[in-house]
Amino acid sequence: MRADRYHHLVVTLLILLLAVPIVATLLYSLAQRWEATILPEGITLSWYWQLWQDSRFLTAFGHSLLVCVGTLLLSTIIIVPAVFVVFYRFPSLDRWMNILILLPFAMPPVVASVGLLQLFAGGPLPLVGTPWILVGCYFTIALPFMYRSLANSLQALNVRDLMDAAYLLGASTPRAFLNVILPNLRKGLMASLFLSFSFLLGEFVFANILVGSRYETLQVYLYSMRATSGHFTSAVVTSYFLFTLVLTWFATRFGRQD
Amino acid sequence: MFYVEVSGLTKRYDATTVFEDIQLGLKKGEFATLLGPSGCGKSTLLRCLAGLTAADHGQIRVEGQDITHLAPQKRGIGMVFQSYALFPNMTVAENIAFGLKMQRRQPEEMVRRVTEAIRLVELSNKEHHYPHELSGGQRQRVALARALVVEPRILLLDEPLSALDARIRRSLREEIRDIQSRLGLTTVFVTHDQEEALTLSDRIFVMNQGRIVQEGSAETVYTQPATEFVARFMGSYNLLAPAEAKRLLGLELKGHLAIRPESIHLSEPGHSYPAHLGVPLTATIRQHQLLGNIIRYHVEAQGTTLLIDHLNRSADDLLPSGAQIALLIDRQQMREVH
Amino acid sequence: MKTTLSSPLSVPVGVTTARAPRLRYWRAALLLTPMFAMLLLFCLAPMGWVVIHSLQSDDGLTLGHFKEILGSPFYLQAFDNSLRISLYSSVIGLLVTLAGAASLRRVESRLKNAVVAFINMTSNLSGVPLAFAFIIIVGTNGALTLLFRQWGWLDDFHLYSRSGLILLYTYFQLPLGLLLLYPALDALDDHWQEAASLLGANHWAYWRHVGLPVLAPALLGTFILLFANAMGAYATAFALTAGNFNLVTVRIASLVSGNVYLEPNMAAALSVLLVALLALVTAMNQWLLKRSYHAR
Repeated sequence: MRADRYHHLVVTLLILLLAVPIVATLLYSLAQRWEATILPEGITLSWYWQLWQDSRFLTAFGHSLLVCVGTLLLSTIIIVPAVFVVFYRFPSLDRWMNILILLPFAMPPVVASVGLLQLFAGGPLPLVGTPWILVGCYFTIALPFMYRSLANSLQALNVRDLMDAAYLLGASTPRAFLNVILPNLRKGLMASLFLSFSFLLGEFVFANILVGSRYETLQVYLYSMRATSGHFTSAVVTSYFLFTLVLTWFATRFGRQD
Repeated sequence: MFYVEVSGLTKRYDATTVFEDIQLGLKKGEFATLLGPSGCGKSTLLRCLAGLTAADHGQIRVEGQDITHLAPQKRGIGMVFQSYALFPNMTVAENIAFGLKMQRRQPEEMVRRVTEAIRLVELSNKEHHYPHELSGGQRQRVALARALVVEPRILLLDEPLSALDARIRRSLREEIRDIQSRLGLTTVFVTHDQEEALTLSDRIFVMNQGRIVQEGSAETVYTQPATEFVARFMGSYNLLAPAEAKRLLGLELKGHLAIRPESIHLSEPGHSYPAHLGVPLTATIRQHQLLGNIIRYHVEAQGTTLLIDHLNRSADDLLPSGAQIALLIDRQQMREVH
Repeated sequence: MKTTLSSPLSVPVGVTTARAPRLRYWRAALLLTPMFAMLLLFCLAPMGWVVIHSLQSDDGLTLGHFKEILGSPFYLQAFDNSLRISLYSSVIGLLVTLAGAASLRRVESRLKNAVVAFINMTSNLSGVPLAFAFIIIVGTNGALTLLFRQWGWLDDFHLYSRSGLILLYTYFQLPLGLLLLYPALDALDDHWQEAASLLGANHWAYWRHVGLPVLAPALLGTFILLFANAMGAYATAFALTAGNFNLVTVRIASLVSGNVYLEPNMAAALSVLLVALLALVTAMNQWLLKRSYHAR
């Protein structure tokens, strides 16, 4: 019993520790003023009202959604067939893929930006300052999550026997892939998409260094608001956080497949 | 003229030969078994028949038609996999309907044939279940129905029972054999279990290291093994090396002598057998195992251990370890193998 | 690649093997090219650019950038700050995480699942929003700062200092560490603790002799990931101090996108040193792993 109480205490402390900044930001965004008191004074929704009427915020939010959704669409189209091909045709390639997809991890975004900024400033692909370079960079961020998640789903499937069975029943390779393999990847794919979405929405480094105010995303907008009222920025942070909350909720719902 | 005819079929991967120069003929409606240890090439041979693996040389003909280079979709072959290979995203009915859907059958016909197939494998209350909700035996029955519903010319069974537990294995194999003979379906069954092969097959092809080493009915393969390998693989044959055969039985042989344990007679010491029946010997019981209706004795005769299977009629008959006995090895049942 | 293409597992349908093995799956291989092209463009190419240009100056190949960095107190201070903040935040993060994850395994499963979901959500609070949240609470005019100052508890804590950054970094390390370490704790068999206690070991002896040695690889691996995560972090520090705190990532960014004066080759050299440092730490981790009992 003593041990039980100890473990509950530790878990409670942990939740408190993690919750303090979130709760504080929420309270701050709802407060008229908050100075040197334990709880804020004057509950109001005016900061949110102000925020959701700000056309610059709405544009930035729209930009973020567009870049993220675009990236994830492109990633799905590229990665899903690629993972299947690796597992079905070149199974020994999986080992190398697992190393390759870690490269974006080994290289901090700041470091990648150094090269990207020079390579895509002019020349045949002048992407710096456009949302397109973000789509490219975000692809490399989403790739490890999507690859691993799809690979796990495929590993559980016995792809070769399923494909063989489908062939013998008269299906062509594309048909077998669409009817037999793809439906079984849906859950893993959706989970990794929502997870990647919330990651990408929070991405700041590439967005700020490579594009900045030329195509302002949510995070860049948030940063540029640092000089305004703390209550206002709290409303931005809380709105953003609520949005990712919904995304992670979807991700865990889809992630609970087995 | 055979219904299925395989000639000179060869498959190699780089330096290793999977099987070489396979000749094989099946009559229509026959239940044939490819029997052999793992790695003997039997599963790859089956995959070549299905068109899932391409052979390097040789020819496969069905009803006189050369199908060697035909895509698996067009061969009219049904297959049941060891892993079931049921589509996890589809219900039992959807799995079974898949082949008909690929043939673009009319909906009414599909429903009728699927229902029929489900009834055939006795899963009528499970049609809307998903594979993960079924037991192993039920899954394999769905796989069987899925392969049968398209009315294939040949049914291939790739170790379909080996993932199941013993009791279900026995009942399912009887069911498979029953359905097969009712439909008169030409069937090739792959297994490494000689008991399965013996109970099910019209004909057995024993494979070893990429070659067919013996072909024949179940009785022939069991009682007249052609080689030492077949004798060892078919069960608990007593195999005497040439020196032992000479010492015990006074026979001059080049190969091993194979004697089935149930062909050795056993009685009290001093019992004299008529000399023309075989070779009498005296021996000592070392231990015994009870195999249900059979008692298997391990006896020692002049330094050689022999296995003797004796019908277990009554507990009083059991001979204790150390007992002296007289035995007779039936001359008719001795076979020299190489 | 040649061996992959002739893999026996995947002989194609209706194709005779007379065809050269490397041509067998050209259509399948075609489906891989967009992925490799994207990786090449947005990951390998910038990586290559950084490596090449770290060795380049206006007059050709040189090690001058590296010499300059190693001789500059300013750059060395950046490395010193980055290393200290990463080390402290990773160690503190790891300790808190270990205690948290160990206790999390011991509470009833409904609470456990809820907490894991909550941790998942907090892992999104990093970078700019995290910095702002902390400014609101413990910034110069933060609610808690004003309160504590009024009560006279807090004199010399500054969020915009090294200790402030360590606090922030530790915060964003916690969810990551918990999510990595929590599943790893499943390696501990509950019976071991019971067996150890029957053999006379108390709680601490069990952890010292069994728990920690078994967990060592997971702990080391988690530490490396936290450390690398902190070394490469930029957004949090940048948002908190507007680029005024001297960290390696802040230096690199200001050399390519600052508004004073740009030196991409110098940024490339700093980047190479940073990545080399991370590689060195990872190599040390591997070496330590090889010495642990798991490898024997």
